[in-house]
Amino acid sequence: MAKILVVDDEEHIRLLYSEELSEAGYEVITAADGHKLIERIETEKPDLVVLDIKMVDYNGLDLLQEIRNKFYDMPVILCTAYDTFKEDIKSIAADFYVIKSFDLTELKKKIATALETHIPSS
Amino acid sequence: MFEAEVNPEDITSAEFVVAIPSYNEADSIAFPVQQADRGIESFFGNRKSVIINCDNNSDDGTKEIFLGIRTNTPKIYISTEPGMKGKGRNFKNLFQKIVDLEAKAVVVVDADLKSITPKWIKHLGEPLFQDFGYVAPLYVRHKYDGTITNSIAYPLTRSLYGRRVRQPIGGDFGFRGELAQVYLESDTWSEAVANFGIDIWMTTLAMNENVPICQAFMGRPKIHRAKDPGSDLGPMFRQVVGTIFEMMIKFCPFWSQVKWSKPTSIFGFGLGETEMPPPVKVNKETLFQKFQHGFKSCGHILENVLQKETFNKLREVKKMDADRFDFPTNLWINVLIDFAVGYRDKVWKEDELLDSLIPIYLGKTLSFVKKTERMSIRESEEFIEEECVQFEVSKSLLVQVWNKGA
Repeated sequence: MAKILVVDDEEHIRLLYSEELSEAGYEVITAADGHKLIERIETEKPDLVVLDIKMVDYNGLDLLQEIRNKFYDMPVILCTAYDTFKEDIKSIAADFYVIKSFDLTELKKKIATALETHIPSS
Repeated sequence: MFEAEVNPEDITSAEFVVAIPSYNEADSIAFPVQQADRGIESFFGNRKSVIINCDNNSDDGTKEIFLGIRTNTPKIYISTEPGMKGKGRNFKNLFQKIVDLEAKAVVVVDADLKSITPKWIKHLGEPLFQDFGYVAPLYVRHKYDGTITNSIAYPLTRSLYGRRVRQPIGGDFGFRGELAQVYLESDTWSEAVANFGIDIWMTTLAMNENVPICQAFMGRPKIHRAKDPGSDLGPMFRQVVGTIFEMMIKFCPFWSQVKWSKPTSIFGFGLGETEMPPPVKVNKETLFQKFQHGFKSCGHILENVLQKETFNKLREVKKMDADRFDFPTNLWINVLIDFAVGYRDKVWKEDELLDSLIPIYLGKTLSFVKKTERMSIRESEEFIEEECVQFEVSKSLLVQVWNKGA
């Protein structure tokens, strides 16, 4: 069972994602902010991170950079309520992005694709 | 008198190398050399460094200009034998020199760059002393600059090898010194690689070696001698696309296993406000005419290379007038798949086969120009990203067609 780490400062979003993604067959762990996120990833070893861009004390795009620099191949999906984030070039380091919605169909599709990505070792 | 190497300070080892390939760049090489020198001094001052000009024995005084520029970093000039031209041949000399110098990191920048700053050296070089083995450039380019990259090199390498490297033939990049030996020993060297195929060859080999790749954000646009996509591009097109197809044959066991693609890390922020590139003018009428005439004159080749259905759809596109012209992305993908397979199966003489793809590519470029002419650079980037997703979705078709013909 793939393990997904959801990072979002809104509790109802964390609850919604936990419920829906668990029902879809994933193991879900959550974080309310970016505090010690890298250590958390190192300890919990998720297969994929779903990352909110605008959090009260953290910028998701900066966290994305930190994750990328440490975990070169970790799939990361950015979630946002606004699509203006695409103006920041850092966003292209994400595997995918989705606009936040209560319908998680798109997110589930992107999660499945990101987990399916395969590059063989040489 | 011909000199294969001029090494005024008798440098025999270096940790960090900035290399500038050239052929007849006397009027432009001074600026990148000066910027490289400043970059080395500011950001790599504690490392033993050297600037190398790898040249094609230019007859316009490139060597004299290069060696005459006052720099704090020592310089070495190396050249191919008289009559031996080609960017790739310059690189072959460079690889050997890197091995001899036992360099740890190498940054390469084009000799005709007008927008390079010392920070380019920092951003292309620093990741090589961290966790990365290959650094590709990421600059804001005008939507019509680099159309071979946008239509072929980026979407194909991304869907084939699974790495999103936006500028796989950027010309300015960095690589770990140890890769030089890998490049020297590769059995995929060809005449196309010895010329303009070198950039895509190096990027593709790095991907196949599973070298950790990042993209360095340069902050400024690449300002150099940009070309109208409708102008003569025969040799470069043949060499780049021919190299992509050659590498497909060689690395099929690898790419046929790749599904979807992974983004790459981005290095180098904090450069202040991003500068926008100058506009690139495109002559739509020329693109349309070249597509029409090329289709007519190459029709017999296209009929042999393309599957019947693809050829018929292309014929429908040809019938469109300039105002309604539209080249669907899926058709373009099918054309590239058929050409890759046709190239492998040698269904037509190699050069003529690649040349016959040029007018079709110009038609695709015209369609891109028409669809994106009202778009901002960012919007056109999103358009290209969407096209790349279509390439990835079609990957299974490519594998199927490739295996069927094998």
